Amino acid sequence: MKRLVSMTVNGEEIELAIPPYRTLLDVLRNEGRLTGTKKGCDVGDCGACTVIMDGSPVNSCLVLGIEAEGATIETIEGQHAGPDLPHLIQEKFMDHGGAQCGFCTPGIIMMTKALLKENPNPTESEVRFAIAGNICRCTGYAKIVDAVLAAAEDLRKGRTL
Amino acid sequence: MAFRIHRPETVDEASRLELDLDGDCAFIAGGTDLVVQMSRGQRAPAHLIDISRLPGMSAISEDGSVVEIGALVTHRELELGKGLPQGTDAIRDAARQVGGVQVRSIATLGGNIANASPAADLVPVLMVLDAELELRGPHGRCVPISDFIEGPRRTTRQPGELITAIRFRAPGNGSATSFFKAGRRKAMEIAVVNVAASVTLGADGACRSVRIALGSVAPKTLRAIGAEKALAGSPLSVAAIREAAQLAADCCAPITDIRASAEYRRLLVKSLVERALVRCSEQVEQSAMSGISASADNPADLLERSH
Ligand SMILES: Cc1cc2nc3c(=O)[nH]c(=O)nc-3n(C[C@H](O)[C@H](O)[C@H](O)COP(=O)(O)OP(=O)(O)OC[C@H]3O[C@@H](n4cnc5c(N)ncnc54)[C@H](O)[C@@H]3O)c2cc1C
Ligand code: FES
Ligand code: FES
Repeated sequence: MKRLVSMTVNGEEIELAIPPYRTLLDVLRNEGRLTGTKKGCDVGDCGACTVIMDGSPVNSCLVLGIEAEGATIETIEGQHAGPDLPHLIQEKFMDHGGAQCGFCTPGIIMMTKALLKENPNPTESEVRFAIAGNICRCTGYAKIVDAVLAAAEDLRKGRTL
Repeated sequence: MAFRIHRPETVDEASRLELDLDGDCAFIAGGTDLVVQMSRGQRAPAHLIDISRLPGMSAISEDGSVVEIGALVTHRELELGKGLPQGTDAIRDAARQVGGVQVRSIATLGGNIANASPAADLVPVLMVLDAELELRGPHGRCVPISDFIEGPRRTTRQPGELITAIRFRAPGNGSATSFFKAGRRKAMEIAVVNVAASVTLGADGACRSVRIALGSVAPKTLRAIGAEKALAGSPLSVAAIREAAQLAADCCAPITDIRASAEYRRLLVKSLVERALVRCSEQVEQSAMSGISASADNPADLLERSH
């Protein structure tokens, strides 16, 4: 039995008919047709599915779609600095080689956004602590951390998230 | 995963629903344990009762000397510590070591307790704070957390009972709490061993009360009673801390599993109990305005050496 659930995704209010057992991750990818959010483990361990829900970063594989009723969700698809312009964080990931295969990248970018909104001036160890829930099998993290710190620096120079 | 979802509006309604559904159902709060258990096929309740939006269970408050934490307060809120009084550092330190930020943002304190994992990080902390759980249901009751958890995934919760709040006495002057956890990596790790301690020192420096709790070394979190007794009335000297840590290591019954051997767990208990007691002693010293006395027998040396 499907249920109607409404939520605001990347600024747009949508209403979807979803089975109660579908996770927010699967709802976004299937019913929502937003496949930028990735499914790595489906049990909370890898962070590839990170989205921002009502201002907090969450693993969308641990949230049932019906639990997101009324929530405001931000996903990677909503991140840009203007029409056809990459988001500040995306730009820094490109500049610093913070993405290789790219599978972890949408989740790490959403986690980075949540971190920088709260703390625009993180230390390297604060960055590493914040992205501890995001696993990357390619980069070895050094370039990811560089990219996050570079985004933070630009933010302090007046650019916006 | 196929189930029906119910959204009661009050605690009483949630409780009645669970009684009416007669067993084949589960409360869902943050879902970080339950959704994983369902995804893995370990649990398949026919009904879920969503308690995540029930009113009156999401605040941290202090009334006189009693601190109350609503069962729906998240680990992220505990980590940030707004509303938590002095002397409760262990709550913050344990909460910030649960999963990643993404898990902490939704995982609730009530869920951490009710899930009854022997490795739950907030349980030893609540044990050394001598916390009580408020249960509401057919018959409301308050129960010490140590009487609530019986073993892995087993509690004394009765059908229709919800944990609504967690209460404990605010640590007074001369009191401190601490938490240490060992895993194979620094973050995103289920504890191989976790340890919490609470200490109240008298003006003379002697222990007026000590509690030590050990997680992941037995089917349920243990109090190291022998170690506590040995410290009672004596100052927290290096020798006394060493002896207590050894007694704690001797009293537990760890198992060898995929994550660590029993011997290694015992070594960790000894080392973490030492650190936890030293940290408490340092905190009491810091909060006492009298400044740092240059004692020749400074427990902080022990911490230095154990790094
Ligand atoms: C990736 C990952 C990492 C994790 N890391 C850690 C860690 O480091 N340390 C740690 O301790 N835990 C960890 N956990 C486990 C989990 O996050 C915690 O146990 C969490 O606190 C559970 O809370 P919840 O609100 O998500 O519970 P839920 O999953 O909603 O519920 C868990 C159980 O408790 C019951 N329940 C929940 N609330 C109540 C209530 N108020 N009254 C009665 N019953 C209730 C539910 O019916 C269910 O059986 C981790 C989990 C994941 C997925
Ligand atoms: S897919 Fe959600 S954490 Fe891995
Ligand atoms: S870039 Fe491949 S997993 Fe991170």
